[in-house]
Amino acid sequence: MNDRPAGALPGEDVLAAAARSLRVHTPAGWTTARAGVLERARRAFRPSAPVRGRHELGEFVVAADVVVLRLRQAVDALPDTAARRITCATDATDALDGVTVEVAVLFGAHLPTAARTVRAVVVRRLEELLGELSPVPDAVDVHVHVGDVVADVRDLR
Amino acid sequence: MSDPVTDDDVGDQQRAPAHPGSSDEPTDEVLARRAALGDRDAFAAVVDRHGPALHRYAYRLLDDPGDVDDCVQDVFLSAWKGLPSFRGDSSLRTWLFTITRHAVYARSRKWPASGSRPHVDLDDVVDRVRDLRADPERESVEVALREALDLALQLLPPRQRAAWLLREVEELRYDEIARVLGTTTTSVRGLLERGRATLAQALEEWR
Repeated sequence: MNDRPAGALPGEDVLAAAARSLRVHTPAGWTTARAGVLERARRAFRPSAPVRGRHELGEFVVAADVVVLRLRQAVDALPDTAARRITCATDATDALDGVTVEVAVLFGAHLPTAARTVRAVVVRRLEELLGELSPVPDAVDVHVHVGDVVADVRDLR
Repeated sequence: MSDPVTDDDVGDQQRAPAHPGSSDEPTDEVLARRAALGDRDAFAAVVDRHGPALHRYAYRLLDDPGDVDDCVQDVFLSAWKGLPSFRGDSSLRTWLFTITRHAVYARSRKWPASGSRPHVDLDDVVDRVRDLRADPERESVEVALREALDLALQLLPPRQRAAWLLREVEELRYDEIARVLGTTTTSVRGLLERGRATLAQALEEWR
C-alpha cells in the first residue's frame, strides 16, 4: 500500500505480498455459500403494506412491494428514463390513493414530456394490476419527481 | 477462526470492481436502486460482486469457520430487506461491510472484549510460519503464504484485525473503515499501525 510508513519493518514486504494474494483470492466456501444466499433472499419477505385490487373473478390483495416492482419495470422500459424510488400510499381500506415516482432521466431529455410519459405508463400499469379498484387517473396522485439528470446512460441502468 | 491453516483455495481471481469501468456493468448505485425496487437480478449482481469479499472478511473474523456461510447469508438477507431504506449516505460496499460487522459481532464470543489480545503466542506463530515456508511438500507458495497470514492474523485483537483486512485486503479508505467499525479515522490509524507491526513481526521468518 502506498501509505506505508518509510522505515518499513522487515516483514512488511512479505505482509504486502500476502495481502495482495488474499485480495484476489476467492474462498472455496463462497461457491457454496452463494447458492444459499440467493435462495434465502429469493424466499425472503419484505414487510409491505397490502393494496386491494378487483378483477372479474373477485377482490384480491397485492403487496405494495409487488406494485412497486411492476411500476419499476414499466418505467425502466421507457427510453432514457429510470425509476429511482417508488412509494405507494393507501387509505384506511387498503385502497391505493397515491403513488410517488422519482425518476432519473438522461441529460437532454425534455423534462415535462418525460414526466407526462411516466405518469401515463404508471396509470396504465396500475389499471392492469388493480383492475376495477385502480384509481381513476384524476383521483390517484401520481407524482413524478425528476430527481436526477444524468449524463451517462450507465447511471440509469 | 479455529483452524486458520485450512486450505480453502479454489483459485485466484481479480476482485470485481465496486465501480466497474466497463460500459456493460452497472454501477453499485444503479444495482442498489434496482434491487431496492424489487429487481432480484440486480440483487444477484450485488451478491456476486461483493459476496467473495464479505465471505473472505467474515471468515477471518469469526471464531468458528462453520459460522461463515450463515453469517454471510444473514448479511445479504439484511441487505435485501434494508435496501429500500438505503439512502446512499455511504457506498454500497461500505454499507455491506457494516452489516457484516454487526453480523460478526452477533456471533463472536471474543469480539465484545475488544481490548483483550487473543490467546495466541507470537513465538508459536513464528515457528509455524517458518515451518510453512520450509515445507518441501507445499505445492503452492501462494497458498502457504495465505496460510501464514491467517496464522499471523490470529495474533491481532478483533478490531485491529478488522481494520487491517478492510484497509490492506479490501482497500477501503480510512473514513470508510471508521464508518464500518463505528469509530474515528484517528482510531483507525492507530489500529492499523499496531496491526501492521504485529503482522510484519510474525511474518519475518517467511523471508
